[in-house]
Parts: sequence; structure tokens; C-alpha cells
Amino acid sequence: MNKLARWGLTMPATIAVVVLLVIPVLLTIATTFGEAKGPFSTYAAFFNSGFRRAVLYRTIKVALITTAISLVIGFITAYVIAQMPGRLKSIAIIAAVFPLLTGVVVRSFAWLIILGKNGIINDTLLSTGLITEPLSMLYTEGSVIVAMVYLFVPLMILTLTGVLEGIPRDLIEASASLGAKPVPTFLQVILPLATPGLIVGAVLVFTGSFTSYATPQLLGGEKQMMMGTFLYQRAMVTFDWVGASTIAAIMVVITIAVVTIMSRIARRLNPMAV
Amino acid sequence: MPTRVHPVLGAFAALVFLFLLAPLVIIVGASLSDTTFLTFPPQGLSLRWFSNIFQVEAFRRTAITSLQVAFLGTALSLLIGIPAAYALNRYRVELPRWLSTLFVLPILVPEIVFGFSLLKSITIGLGLPVYPSLILGHALLVLPYSVRVVGASLASFDFSVEEAARSLGCPPVKTFMTVVLPNIRAGVIAAFILAFITSINDVSVSVFLTGPGISTLPIQILAHMEQFFDPTIASVSVLLMLVTVGVMAVVEATLGLTFLTK
Amino acid sequence: MKAMRLTQLATLALLATLGGAATAAAQSKTFTISWWGYNGEKMNANIIEPFKKICGCEIVFETGNNADRLNKLKLRDGKGVDVIYLSDSFSQLGVEQGLFQEIDPAKIPNLSEIYELGRAPQGKYGPAYTIGRVGLVYDSAKVNPPITSWNDLWREDLKSSVSLPGITTTAGPMVVMQAGKHAGVDAYDDADKAFEAVEALKPNVVKNYNTGSELVNLISTGEVRVALAQDFTLASMQAAVKTMTWAKLSDGDIATLNTVNIPKGSENVDLAYKFIDFILSKDVQQKEAEQGVDAPINTKVELTPEQAKIWTYGAEQVSSLSRIDYAKMNEAKTDWIDRWNEVFGQ
Repeated sequence: MNKLARWGLTMPATIAVVVLLVIPVLLTIATTFGEAKGPFSTYAAFFNSGFRRAVLYRTIKVALITTAISLVIGFITAYVIAQMPGRLKSIAIIAAVFPLLTGVVVRSFAWLIILGKNGIINDTLLSTGLITEPLSMLYTEGSVIVAMVYLFVPLMILTLTGVLEGIPRDLIEASASLGAKPVPTFLQVILPLATPGLIVGAVLVFTGSFTSYATPQLLGGEKQMMMGTFLYQRAMVTFDWVGASTIAAIMVVITIAVVTIMSRIARRLNPMAV
Repeated sequence: MPTRVHPVLGAFAALVFLFLLAPLVIIVGASLSDTTFLTFPPQGLSLRWFSNIFQVEAFRRTAITSLQVAFLGTALSLLIGIPAAYALNRYRVELPRWLSTLFVLPILVPEIVFGFSLLKSITIGLGLPVYPSLILGHALLVLPYSVRVVGASLASFDFSVEEAARSLGCPPVKTFMTVVLPNIRAGVIAAFILAFITSINDVSVSVFLTGPGISTLPIQILAHMEQFFDPTIASVSVLLMLVTVGVMAVVEATLGLTFLTK
Repeated sequence: MKAMRLTQLATLALLATLGGAATAAAQSKTFTISWWGYNGEKMNANIIEPFKKICGCEIVFETGNNADRLNKLKLRDGKGVDVIYLSDSFSQLGVEQGLFQEIDPAKIPNLSEIYELGRAPQGKYGPAYTIGRVGLVYDSAKVNPPITSWNDLWREDLKSSVSLPGITTTAGPMVVMQAGKHAGVDAYDDADKAFEAVEALKPNVVKNYNTGSELVNLISTGEVRVALAQDFTLASMQAAVKTMTWAKLSDGDIATLNTVNIPKGSENVDLAYKFIDFILSKDVQQKEAEQGVDAPINTKVELTPEQAKIWTYGAEQVSSLSRIDYAKMNEAKTDWIDRWNEVFGQ
């Protein structure tokens, strides 16, 4: 196929992204360089603040942990689902998707019911005498991670099921018939072939959790401020769009960096991956 | 024939499903509670919070808008995203690497910044009417799913099958429709579901792209929640779950597959 | 083939929706109102339908919370809506950003019937149409002795029991103000001391809330038993926890006013004046109060004690409220937000 057709296929999407996203966002971010104190003053101000650095660090940490946990949980579950017979598989996938359909307010309410002072877990632990005082599980980094994993595992499952489906059964059978035990088969046949999906999933989960606003807001609160909540505060309350754009620019740079690193790692495992 | 799964893995998956579904039980329970506040277990059973959704005109109106926008936005993003994913995979060597990152940008940029920028530069800057802006915004918002999730599926597609069909004289578009597309069904469906759901639930981008007379359901619900703290919001979630099942059923009917099975 | 069928369906749907959207354009004059979006049915019955008859116009809404709508108005340079409802802290921001027209009181006869504090609360700009208050609520079954002063927030026995409004909400900055008073200073003058007092409050705080629904959830699940809240949330809290009580504070509650303003880009200024006059009228205010929508600011509204219970009502109550100087507050806000983040964010 000639070059025209090749580029032609990607043209609509490319134009859409450039015109509707890249240019407008660049215009917005450009405002951060126009401050009286100098082109990089807003960024310097950001990194000079201990509080802001802590927010950034916490956000990266939470996003990475969420991604790692979601990867493991999602992969195992997707693998099991892929082995299920037809009807059951469809039901399992639909069920796995439901968490995505819950609005964040009800979801945080549900977690309040589960993790709260008078919640299900505390009630059970108290009644069995394992603890004497209710555990304070909410509004911690842990509760934010749990809630985010809850949100992103379905995403991971859905992404991975599509990929695992594409791995020809014959390959696995061939590997087994050649004498490879399950674990080596997994590591050397399945994992590399699943890598494209793993990377897509990891990217979607990391960026999603890194830029997340509503979940940290409701389940972390101010004690667990993250970049998303901080940005929202800047933009919507003080109308400080320059400050908000600064935060946004930093977020974009970091996510691109992390995504690039992930892609590099993936390429090691499977050159066809990205 | 499905291969056997190690019991430990199976048990683990079962636990995961428990984890995923437990909060849903709470939400369904809360949506049926005959109280004016969210509570679980429900105190008295009633469907009034469901009927509330249909009775409040604002919810009805915005629910329809949300469905339209989600459908059109997702369709549009698939329309431009699938060819892009195809090209990225087929011509991986010839096309530049950064191109694939380009299509993921919508997720990398924080939503409210995206929405704000779009409003400022396109809607206001170019004077585009609200409704098309909303659809374009959503299409772009979910583009990463269309490109990447379909792309992951394409990565394990054997292009030699396509070449074989072509060499037998099958024209390019028909080849795509009859050879490539059916084999990446799983990816397309997964992308559609993720995109549709993301669009339906979206608040941060929609907030800026809505305007006088046009609003989406999540935004309307949040407005409602500023004053009323009743289980309506739980019943909306349950309704969304039912709609999803409905959408899946339609997909199954028109594309004629039992989901992802071969 | 099946994909074709789906494509056909999709095209039909596309055409249908685009067609629908096109014919939605109004034929007669269109009056655009920007407001929060809840209580639509009552708003429609009490205000919209009657006003439509008066103006002979079509009415369209822009809905959303304060921040979203003000942001959009700013981006559109004051155009796009004819009249805008905002809470006072946000309308002050709008005033400062030059988004509103100055109001000519002569064009709003009903101004004379409303409480004085509502007539021109923010200089020559829009009046208030309802009056609310911010105070303390507590679960009388779990808090003893009862709360009688703002200072009680710092009580030792309230450890891990309190929820404060986030600094970005309407009531948030009031926490800082009261903390200042607790420390014996004016928070505008001595932010350091005020925030020391806020820091001292930390052990008592479980979580800060940003929306009414969050607060009600926190109360109904027993996570907190004391909160600083706006009065309109009381009814919902009481539905969940019957023993929730509005504290009788010796040092008085704080007034909050919701305002209406005319953006500078309004295309129907005369209609806007008519509208504002209309919603301030005794009849409208009476209905809205009786039906539990908004507290009346028109002095001629008469409510039974039962009806008045949930509102800020009556000259006596109104005059006991302390007022916020929003100009000063907005000036200090950015600094306060940063300090608040430092206190609660780590």
C-alpha cells in the first residue's frame, strides 16, 4: 500500500487530536509562560513548595501502586475468564464492567459502608472480638488505592480479555506438547503475547489514576491531596487558570515520561508490543 | 475446549469478583431504600427513586442527551480510531513512533484542562455550537480507547491472512470488513464498551462543553446532589447497569456473537 | 451483512439527533437563566410558568454549580446568559472580575420589601433573593454537653468527631474566620494566628466535606457527629439522624446570601430586571418558602412557626446574623487556601 493510503488512514484521527486537543491545550499551557516573574516562574514556584512536591510524590506513588495491583489482579482474572465457556464468559465480563457504571458519589458511599467506622468490616471485626476499637480505614492513602483499584481492575480485565482471546490456543497446546510445564509456558509464550494488552492496560490505568479527581476527593479528602484534586481547586475556586495549567503541564510531562518508560520495557518483552 | 485452570487461580478470580460486586450489592440495596438519604441495609423497599429519574423532567432530558452524545461520540471515535489503529499496526515500521502516543494524549491531559481549552479555543474561538462541540469533545475523550484497545487486539492479528485475501483479488475495503474486522471483534467491542461508559459517566469535560439548554445526566445529577441527598443517585447507577446490559444485548443481536467467544 | 446493518442504524440515529437538535431553536424571544439546576419542578411551577406569561418568551437554562457557571461566563466574556444565580462568595468574584452590570434599583420596585441586608449586598450589583445561615450542627444524642458556641468546636471530647466544609466551599473560609475569633484576632489581619487555631482543630476533624451529599453521608453513617454546615442541609441530616440539632450559638450564626445578577453581556436586560423583581415579590417568595425551596427574604412573607422552623426567618433572626465582608475574603482566599492545604494536606 502506498504512503498516501498509509497516512490517510491515520489522518482523520491525527487531525482531530491536533486541532481539538493539542493546539487548544498548548494555547492554555502557553499562558503559564507569560507571567511577569519570568517564563518558568510558575514552575519554580511549584517545585519550591514542599506541600506541592509532596502532592506530586503522593500522586505518582498512588498511581504506580494502583497500576501494579490492577495489573496483577486484572491479568489473573482476565486469564481465568478467557478459559471460561461461552455464556459464562459473557456474563463474567459484563459483571466485571459494572463497577465502571457506578457514579463516584455512590461508589464512595459504598466504600463508606464497607470501610467506615460503623461499616461492615469494622462491625465484623468488633463482633468477633479481633479488635476492640473500630479501625480508621478511610481517608488514608490505602483507601484511595483500594477505591482506585476497584475502578481500574475492570478496565484492565476488559483490555486484557481482548488480547488473551487473540492468543491462539494451538500455541499453548503446542508448547505443552513440546514438554513445557505450565509456568514456563506462561512466562515464555503467554506473557510476551499478552504484553501489548498489558501495556495498554498499564498506560490507561496509570494515566487514569494519576489524573484522577473525584475518587481521591471523596475517599482521600484533603489529607490525601493529589494532583487532580489540587488542579481542580486551583481552577474552579480561585479561578487561577495559570496555576491550574502549570499543574496540568507538569502532569502531562510526567505521564508521557512514565508511559514512554513502560513502552520501552514492553518492547523488551515483545518487540511487536507497541 | 477451555483449558483447565489451576484452582488457586480460580479461587483468586472468585475473590476478585467478590471484591468487584460487593459494593454493587450495597448500591442496589441503597437505591431501593424508602428513605430520603443513602443508607444500607435499605430501610423499607421502594422503587420511588427510580421513578424519580423518569419523573424529573431535567433527568429525562439530560439522560437522552447523554445517550445521544455517548453513542455519537463513541461511534465517531471508532470511525477514526479503528483505521488509525490498523495503520499503526500494519505499518508499524514505516510510521513514526510518536504517532501512537499522539492518540493517547486525551487521557494524559487532565480532563478539566482539556474541556476548558476546548471551550476556549474551539467553541468560543471558532464559534462552534454547543451540541457539536460536546460530541467532538467526547469523541476525542474516548479516542484512546478506540485506538489502543483495538490496537492491542490487532497486535495479535496475523496480517498474512489479510494479504492472502488480497492476493486472491479481494478489494481492500471488503478485505478489511470481512477478514480483519471479524477477527478483532473482541477488541472493538471492548473499546466500544469502555468508550461508551466513559462518555456516559463523564463530568469533567462535559462541564465546560455544556451550555444553555444542553446538559448531560451526570452533571444534572451532581446539580441535584447539591441540594438533595437522596438515593436517586444510586438508582441512576443501577439504571446505567441495566442500560449496559441492554446495550450488550443489542450488540449481540446486531453483530450476532456470543460476546467474545470464537 | 451485519456490520452494514449497524452502520445504517448509526447513520439513521445520527441524522435523527442532528435533526432534533436543529429544530430546537426557539422562534420567539429567548430568556436565558443560569442557575444550579435542582428543584426544577417547583421552580417551573412557581417562577418559570408565571414568568413566561408575563414576558411572552421562551426560557432556557444553563445549569451547574457556582464555579462551573461562573467560569463559563468568564470565558464567554459575560455573554450567553441573561440573568445568573450565584451564592454570594461567587457573585463577589463575578463582581470583581467585571462580569456583571450595575443594577439600577429604581427598576426593581420590590427591593423595598426585602430585608435591607439583601438589597445591595455587594455594592451596586445584584440583590439577594434568599437568606441562609451557616452554623454548627450536632447529634444531641451523642454530644454532651450541647454545643452553644463556636468555641465548642475545639472541645477535647469531640476528638475525631467533626467535619468541616472544605476551604473551597461557600462555608469553608468561615472556618478560618471563626478560628481567628477563637484565637482573639481578625483572620484578615493575622492569618498566622488564625491558622494556628485551625491547626489546633485538626485532631477533632475526621474529614472535610465539599458537597452537601458528602456531609449527609458522613452524618448518616455515624462517621461524624458535629459539623459546620449551611442550614439547608439540616432537613436531610435530620431525616437520617433524628437527633441532629442546629446549635443555638451565643455568638451568632453567619449569614449567607444567594444573589441574582445581570451579566454585562445580557441580551435581554429589561426582561432580566422584570425577572429579578418577580422573584423578589411577596407571592413568589411566599410559595417558595412554604414549599421548602428557599428561605424568604421578602419581609412581607408570613409563615407559621412550623413552616419557619427550617428557615432563617423573621427580623430578629436576620438581624442576629453576622455578615461576611466578601471583598476582603476573596482577597485573602488564595493565601488561605494555600495555608489550609498545608494544615490539612499533610
